[in-house]
Amino acid sequence: MIAAILTGVRLHMKQASRNPFDLSGVVVWPILYASIAYYLLDAKHDPKLLLSASLGAAVMLMWSLVVIASSGTLEQQRWQGTLELVVAAPTPLTAVIGPICVGGALVGTYGIGATLLWGALLFDVPVSIQHPLAFAVAIPAAALAVGMLGLIMAATFVLYRAAFHLGIATQYPVWIVTGLLVPLSLLPAFVRPISWLLAPTWGFRGMQEAAIGGTPWPDIGMCFVLSVVYLAIGGTCLVAFEYVARARGSLRLT
Amino acid sequence: MAVIEVEGLTRRYRSRTGTFRRRTAVVEALRGVSFEVERGELFGLLGPNGAGKTTMIKVLTTLLLPTSGTARVLGFDVRRQARQIRGRVGYVFGGDRGLYDRLSAYDNLRYFADLYKVPPRTRRSRIDQLLEMVELKGRERERVETYSRGMRQRLHIARGLLHDPEILFLDEPTIGLDPVGARELRDTIANLHGAGKTILLTTHYMYEADALCQRIAVIANGNFVATGTPSDLKQVVGDHTIVEIETFGIADETVERLRRLPGVRAVGVETREHAQVLLVQSAVGADVVRALLNELAGADTGKVITREPTLEDAYVELVRSA
Repeated sequence: MIAAILTGVRLHMKQASRNPFDLSGVVVWPILYASIAYYLLDAKHDPKLLLSASLGAAVMLMWSLVVIASSGTLEQQRWQGTLELVVAAPTPLTAVIGPICVGGALVGTYGIGATLLWGALLFDVPVSIQHPLAFAVAIPAAALAVGMLGLIMAATFVLYRAAFHLGIATQYPVWIVTGLLVPLSLLPAFVRPISWLLAPTWGFRGMQEAAIGGTPWPDIGMCFVLSVVYLAIGGTCLVAFEYVARARGSLRLT
Repeated sequence: MAVIEVEGLTRRYRSRTGTFRRRTAVVEALRGVSFEVERGELFGLLGPNGAGKTTMIKVLTTLLLPTSGTARVLGFDVRRQARQIRGRVGYVFGGDRGLYDRLSAYDNLRYFADLYKVPPRTRRSRIDQLLEMVELKGRERERVETYSRGMRQRLHIARGLLHDPEILFLDEPTIGLDPVGARELRDTIANLHGAGKTILLTTHYMYEADALCQRIAVIANGNFVATGTPSDLKQVVGDHTIVEIETFGIADETVERLRRLPGVRAVGVETREHAQVLLVQSAVGADVVRALLNELAGADTGKVITREPTLEDAYVELVRSA
């Protein structure tokens, strides 16, 4: 199963990287958001704020790519007839769809490099990482946790044919609730407990604390804890929803 | 020993239409089907579009649950023991779909080899062996999106055989292939059967079923209307002679009059290019040609052929009377 997971991550990243149109979006998106944040927050005198905004934009991209990878890829797999074939294989569906989500999140890490470089070149933001080791661990930890959150969504997409539209609809709510688009301090108090349940909150904090100085390890730890919880929930849902999809006959488009 | 045992299998689909006034439609794709397939047998499922062939294969490959009845594959129940079945059977369908287009053939095979738990130490050699078998060696690093339909279909076969399955389910594998590609694929299927594989093949090409299958089941409207060897099925129209008459612009009333002629058992009309071909079944020994041509006097007619019935004639008769 480990071989299937590793090959799955590699091949889905390879497949995603082979569409120049998608790839250019990956590079341009976070730059746009980082630029907007720079002007919106008037961050030219506060390099830390701009670094945070850059990382936030990168995590936004990560979540978007997981949504696109899980919903879009599943819809694409339905269209191209491969969804039935991967379901017909003896490997559990979690080991098939999990790598698609994590692969999407890992493609999103391109965005981190792009925003940091953009900030350095255009806004003179010094790329100085306070805890390099923690930062290096925080990136894959965030990708894993965000990817596993996508796994829970993907379970729903196995059941419903309108997967892509459902997925896209979750983009903004998650950006807002996890403080990526608007600082959490500006949002009503009831939003905070919701944000604690969502991986992008901890993924962003882990990278932020590691970059600008702070205590990143508890946030990184939360990423791993949430990954395990999401895996358990997503895996259970996938087994149940696969059974329902077999009963309904909804694995194929026609 | 039966490796596929199906008893009283029913499968219904529900579909909903309408936004405010939701209506549920129920389609019965399989209606209480029973049959068995022996180990090493090449069994054909023959039927028109929408007859239930693909639904049957999907139930047996665990992609669909039966609504009622039982189906066992290699002794495992399709409803409760899907995981055990999946590692032991291969599923290949026809057409352009079912491959990762942006990846190479090798990457496609590598991924499915991992999904089917092919051991890493034999994976490379197994992929090479299959690429050799389906004549894609040397082209395996090219993206699948650049492949012709025939190449894709051969790649499908290789994918279905990666884990050396005990049973191979082939769902219209030659659909859309050019004649040469279809013949090559039929040779591949015959070789696999020769090597001892149990194969369940669905097709609506009669000559394919006739040439390959040891036993055939004709399925129509979700029911098996006949099961037997190709020779058994031909006996359905064994006491018939077929007269083919090429005509142009023949009216329905004329066809009705032909049906009422003494000695005529059935009349079918096929369109071939610009002509209509009347397929008239008559009792052996009955000289109906003169009567038919008299009835068609004044109509524009072409070639007239009298011949023995084929599997296709038997199939048409079975499906028509279903």
